[in-house]
Amino acid sequence: MSWVIKAFSSSIGKKLLLAISGLALCGFLVAHLAGNLLLYVGPEVYNKYADALHAQKILLPIAEVGLLGLFVIHLANALRTNRENREARPVGYEVRQSKQPPSAFLKPASSVMYGTGIVVLLFLLLHLSDFRFELRNPAVAELTPFNKAQVLLRDPLTAIVYIIGSCSLGYHVSHGVQSAFQTLGVNHPKYNWLIGTVSKAFGLLVALGFGSFPLWAWAFHS
Amino acid sequence: MSDGSMSLTLKIWRQADASSQGDFRVYKVHGISPDQSFLEMLDVLNEQLIQQGEEPVAFDHDCREGICGMCSLMINGQAHGPERTTTTCQLHMRHFRSGDTIVIEPWRAKAFPVLRDLVVDRSAFDRIISKGGYVSVNTGNAPDGNAILIPKENADKAFEAATCIGCGACVAACKNASAMLFVSAKVSQMAMLPQGQPERTMRVQSMVAQMDAEGFGGCTNTNECEAACPVGISVENIARLNREYLRAVTVGRS
Amino acid sequence: MTTTASSVLDGRCPTGPISERWEKRKNELKLVSPTNKRKYEILVVGTGLAGASAAASLAELGYNVKAFCFQDTPRRAHSIAAQGGINAAKNYQNDGDSVFRLFADTIKGGDFRSRESNVHRLAELSVNIIDQCVAQGVPFAREYGGLLSNRTFGGALVSRTFYARGQTGQQLLLGAYSALMRQQHVGRLKVFARREMLDVVVVDGVARGIVVRNLVTGQLETYSGHAVLLCTGGYGTVYYLSTNAKGCNVTANWRAYKRGAYFANPCYTQIHPTCIPVHGDYQSKLTLMSESLRNDGRVWVPAKMGDQRSPDQIPDADRDYYLERRYPTYGNMAPRDVASRAAKERCDLGYGVGAGGQAVYLDFTDAIRRDGEAAIRARYGNLFDMYHKITDENPYSSPMRIYPAVHYTMGGLWVDYHLQSTIPGLFVLGEANFSDHGSNRLGASALMQGLADGYFVAPYTVGDHIASRKLAPVTTDHPEFERCVGETRARIYKLLNVNGRRSADSFHRELGKLMWDYCGMSRSEKGLQQVIQKIRGLREEFWQNVKVPGSGNALNQNLEQAGRVADFLEFGELLALDALTRRESCGGHFREEYQTKDNDTLRDDANFSHVAAWRFAGENQDPVRHVEPLSFQDVQPVQRSYK
Repeated sequence: MSWVIKAFSSSIGKKLLLAISGLALCGFLVAHLAGNLLLYVGPEVYNKYADALHAQKILLPIAEVGLLGLFVIHLANALRTNRENREARPVGYEVRQSKQPPSAFLKPASSVMYGTGIVVLLFLLLHLSDFRFELRNPAVAELTPFNKAQVLLRDPLTAIVYIIGSCSLGYHVSHGVQSAFQTLGVNHPKYNWLIGTVSKAFGLLVALGFGSFPLWAWAFHS
Repeated sequence: MSDGSMSLTLKIWRQADASSQGDFRVYKVHGISPDQSFLEMLDVLNEQLIQQGEEPVAFDHDCREGICGMCSLMINGQAHGPERTTTTCQLHMRHFRSGDTIVIEPWRAKAFPVLRDLVVDRSAFDRIISKGGYVSVNTGNAPDGNAILIPKENADKAFEAATCIGCGACVAACKNASAMLFVSAKVSQMAMLPQGQPERTMRVQSMVAQMDAEGFGGCTNTNECEAACPVGISVENIARLNREYLRAVTVGRS
Repeated sequence: MTTTASSVLDGRCPTGPISERWEKRKNELKLVSPTNKRKYEILVVGTGLAGASAAASLAELGYNVKAFCFQDTPRRAHSIAAQGGINAAKNYQNDGDSVFRLFADTIKGGDFRSRESNVHRLAELSVNIIDQCVAQGVPFAREYGGLLSNRTFGGALVSRTFYARGQTGQQLLLGAYSALMRQQHVGRLKVFARREMLDVVVVDGVARGIVVRNLVTGQLETYSGHAVLLCTGGYGTVYYLSTNAKGCNVTANWRAYKRGAYFANPCYTQIHPTCIPVHGDYQSKLTLMSESLRNDGRVWVPAKMGDQRSPDQIPDADRDYYLERRYPTYGNMAPRDVASRAAKERCDLGYGVGAGGQAVYLDFTDAIRRDGEAAIRARYGNLFDMYHKITDENPYSSPMRIYPAVHYTMGGLWVDYHLQSTIPGLFVLGEANFSDHGSNRLGASALMQGLADGYFVAPYTVGDHIASRKLAPVTTDHPEFERCVGETRARIYKLLNVNGRRSADSFHRELGKLMWDYCGMSRSEKGLQQVIQKIRGLREEFWQNVKVPGSGNALNQNLEQAGRVADFLEFGELLALDALTRRESCGGHFREEYQTKDNDTLRDDANFSHVAAWRFAGENQDPVRHVEPLSFQDVQPVQRSYK
């Protein structure tokens, strides 16, 4: 197996791991979002879905460990490549300007992946402590999943933080998906526009989808 | 020397040698013509410095027609200056305005140490090429040139990748000082030609290993290299490099 | 004032039928055993097409090779800038080409001033070069069926030029460079970049080493070897403005000349007809627009003197397509010297266009109308872009303005058939030697010659030198190395200590202007006599008034340049002297006194059918002119006609 370690320890190898783990995590995001969107269908449907999910005593822990694994791979490689990339230019420039057409945003998503990644990480920790471990508000353990989401998200400060987190995640994946395709070698003049569009649409969907839940909890159920 | 009308303030990185500390110095030049090239403008500055008894600014240049790849310079934070698909030697002063302040810095990368002023050492590129940027064919062994048919489309694509001039702008412009565009251009050229097939698996692995050993950063797909490349090498080549790498490490036997 | 030596130079050419001579010689050459090759060191100076191909090929054979270049990497050598293509007598186009035709075209193009044996060998080897480069992965242009594509070049009626868009030199050089890098990886070869050769070390009459300056540290380094190959290019930058790179220089060749290598035909310089005109005093170099453009572009000037209308306002009737008019057979594809002189003739008479009237039009309107802009873009896109960048004018919509500029130098160090100079063990390859192009080089032949010399000639003849000579062991501790280093150091010290007021660059510009005005596209007895005096005066001023800032112990580009200019100031005089003593016109050497009534060159075969090779006779001594007679058995000298 030494070839595996060797293959994935080069700069391209690390990047491949980042891409593969990132795409897998995007897959999780799709499932997560789809499940959560049931909130809009109604308490019965959502609660049924959540209970069914939590009833999976074997599959759920496996999925959780898998997710954690993917996340650790993604994070570890991001941290490592980021450090190496910084070291590759010990003396910086006095002035720096892009030669690309100006981005619609302040900075293109591709240039702030590490920053948005850190925000997403902090958001994720908060999110897990709220929903998975119920650390901030242990009382929610007694509520139905539907009410739990409502109670946790309707706090205005939490809502704002969750919206920021969701938008960061959306911005992160809007570059992440197409970047992963490029890293996996999928680049073809006929399909590049499609990959780019899908990636941006996915980012928008993630930002709007996850960002809408605090708004929903806050605006309509407070 | 010059017969133009532009006056400019130049803020230039000066450094005596690789082990010295450097700093920025500010110079003024007058009478620059818009038809002058950027390097001809620096010639005027150097002539002026010689007259003043100061040491002229060292900068790399040779062919001055955009093909040798020897000229460099980060001009106002952009590799080879503001024009796309243009080397510094082909950049003309008509793209600046009289009164402008221009900041001129050397390429910055761990793998490109500064030798003096604006001159950097790019021999890392040679070492990468020596690890596999070739077809191992000794002189005298070749079959007839038309014995191998190459579809025009492939020949054209290989040619486009092969036009890399090895100037290092991709490294200079990349926020990670990555050499992926440079390496991918050579790997792509060979991957698209039948002549490159026998060594395809080994080539990509050893060139990437050397690229990493030289201390270049990794690719984060910001595409800044493509925008900075004076000959317009496409990041499509980087995807191909990734593909070649993936293929080599999964199906290759070495 | 010149002495001509009575002894005749022997080119060591084989005898017998011309097509069998190289084969015959190869069979006579002595071989070095494979196991012994690794005991021999070969020093290759310059890493252009000739240098890189020779260094790589010799290393492949098993020799230990050291390759030197002044650039930061071997891949930058100026061969990289060659645009149009490389000739080869493949006859892939079925248009009647053959080795003999390429040979005959080259002899005729060179105006019957080259060596038949060498030229025939070149034509023979041309086919191997293409094969070799294709095998290396050089992406030559291809047809849709996958076969190699060809284009036509000046001075030929067949289509034999292989190309890679407008960047053929780049692709060929990168091919040779990759071979070089491969040998470095294998460990047979080591590249020494940012090193400038400043002396050849001759021990017991044989070249055994070199002195180079490490351009980064300023240290003088010495290397010993069993053969030294100079692949150091031409001397076109003696004119200051030329299509050569800024770093191109004559220093290595001039140092070799001073150590006993004869300098042949320095007056044979090529003025390329299609360059972007000079546009200001600040200009540092001229840019070539490939000759291949003349395949589709038509050259013209207004038929009426001083016609100020913009080119699109001038109807066909008021245009003078002077090349098509004067040379109906070859038309716009007349050889370079002919096309250049024709442009000068029009401009001198006042028909020139653009500011200063020093330009002619190269017009693609008809071609774009015929083939479409896309087709023209595919063929010449990068050249058009380059023109646009430099001039800020769009050549797709208005004709290019072009004017001749110094491009190539056919003269160089004298070499025999083995490419060996008059110093045994010192070989000279590519543009640095004088051998194959006579007094005018045909387009797409420089790449061919550089690679033929490097891939296919030197690997044989260098081996013969090593095998047939008993070379005593010589290391860099030999006193001769010490002496050469001492002299080199003294010279650097002298340059740094003049401490005058003028930059080396300003002297170079002034010299260049003198050379262009008096010894450029046309030359006269009186002008040449004058310019020799002027060069001497300028040289004197240089050594009293040059200012070289900085020290010798660091990266000092002004010191590098000053050394090169100092050599040009000596070499320029030899060039003018050679032009003065060659009292005839041939190829690129046009003496106003010797011309036909149509302003074409008028050769004097009775008195000048020879190579003039100059021997250094000591500082402040007149050089001695040696002669190698030329004989033509296979192509009879005629008055060239491209009508």
